[in-house]
Amino acid sequence: MKEKAIRRILVIFLLISAVVVAVAIAAVRNINQAIAGSDWVNHTHSVILEADALRSDLFLADGALHTFVLTGDARDHGACSEALSNVEEDLEITRALTRSEPAQAAQVADIGSLVEARVAFLRSVLSARQSGGADSVRATLASDAGGAALHKIQRALEKLKDDELALLTARDTASYLQAQAMRYTVWTGVVLDVLLLAASGWLIRDDIAARRRLAEALEEANRGLTEKVRERTAELESSNKELSAENLERQWSNQALEHQLRYNHLIIDSINDLVFVLTKALNISRVNPAVAQATGMSASDLVGQPLSRVARAAPRAPGEAAPLADPLFQALNAGRDLRDLPSVLVDKLGRTQPAVLSMTPLRDRDKVVGAVITVRVQAPSPASGG
Amino acid sequence: MSKHVLLIDDEANIRELLAIALQGKGYRVTAAASADEAQMTVRKDPPDLIISDLQLEDEDGLAIIAQLKTTLPNVPVILLTGVLFDPQVVRENLSKKVSCYLEKTSSLSKITDTIKRLLEE
Repeated sequence: MKEKAIRRILVIFLLISAVVVAVAIAAVRNINQAIAGSDWVNHTHSVILEADALRSDLFLADGALHTFVLTGDARDHGACSEALSNVEEDLEITRALTRSEPAQAAQVADIGSLVEARVAFLRSVLSARQSGGADSVRATLASDAGGAALHKIQRALEKLKDDELALLTARDTASYLQAQAMRYTVWTGVVLDVLLLAASGWLIRDDIAARRRLAEALEEANRGLTEKVRERTAELESSNKELSAENLERQWSNQALEHQLRYNHLIIDSINDLVFVLTKALNISRVNPAVAQATGMSASDLVGQPLSRVARAAPRAPGEAAPLADPLFQALNAGRDLRDLPSVLVDKLGRTQPAVLSMTPLRDRDKVVGAVITVRVQAPSPASGG
Repeated sequence: MSKHVLLIDDEANIRELLAIALQGKGYRVTAAASADEAQMTVRKDPPDLIISDLQLEDEDGLAIIAQLKTTLPNVPVILLTGVLFDPQVVRENLSKKVSCYLEKTSSLSKITDTIKRLLEE
């Protein structure tokens, strides 16, 4: 979007520059034409002035000739000769001025013929008077009565002058139209530039507004992002705290359970009576240290062995040994305790000693999964036999 | 100012974990491994609450509590022990000697909630 706006603004500035250059070129061309027109006007005025001078000098020469004819004075002769020289000079100047203009040159050529003829006539009269007296030129002057030749020259000069004035008028009109066209060109250029500048300003304003909106949107997005980062950080900190708390709780739980377990073992191991933990099949799964002390058998020797390996029922009569398993099985299956059942303890060497045995079923959520047996030895020293 | 808790237990792991948990809750904790250390703390910086184990290496926890109670009769005491007492024993015996009995298998949150309740925060 920004690139597009910049391209448009550049195009507009290029157009403005093109308009300015075009107006400048038109102005320079107009100035050149004005200068050329001015030269031409000066030249035309020069032609008119020379035409006027030619006519004036011609009439002056004609008057001086008539005076000389009457007076025969050398001063009048001189004045006439000078006037005729001026006429010839005026004619040459007029020819030179109109040489580059074919139409005028043709007119001046006709005028020149008439003037040269008149000058020749005047010189012939002047020469005749000087050599013969007034009577000698009377007939010649009589042939020129009425001044028809002079009038013809004067009309030709008037026509030349009128034509030049008509050209001046046409030139003035052309100059006026040219000035008007230049005025329109300049104003059109100015208006066009103003419009282009306005369009450029509008585009720049639009672009600035778009940039401002974009900046605001970016700022808003940044604010949102910062807020999200803050929220996320807070969430992470909270989660971290929760995890730390959970971790600490777990460590505490493990520690407490280990402590509790150790303490329970300590209690069982501290009992002086022999403690056997049995499976439901009456096999030994655990014993306390008192068992090893009384029987000489380690826990490793006894775990997995049937209880009958170390404890048997006391004989009902001398020499008779009743099975111990039956009352234990019956009590276990019935889920009841046995208290102070007479029995004998058998040590590692097969020696026996009297004891009393108690059994408590081991319940796990109301389900009998085994039994705990405690055996209390009756005699302080082991009996011999086996 | 944060409340001061005196923690008496002969097991370093217990002292360390419980101290971290209570400090995390904003309490100032002093840990003592023996009766002598506990007495010294009570003299120098009387606690707002006492947590004590029952079976210590050098002395009976309840005996220590009784001694400390003579100095700080109004300070609540929690007995935190691995010995499992029957509810009736707790009701009829322990409740006269301590403010609260907690098993060591109690969760940390339960312990801190109990502390908060006893300190009436």
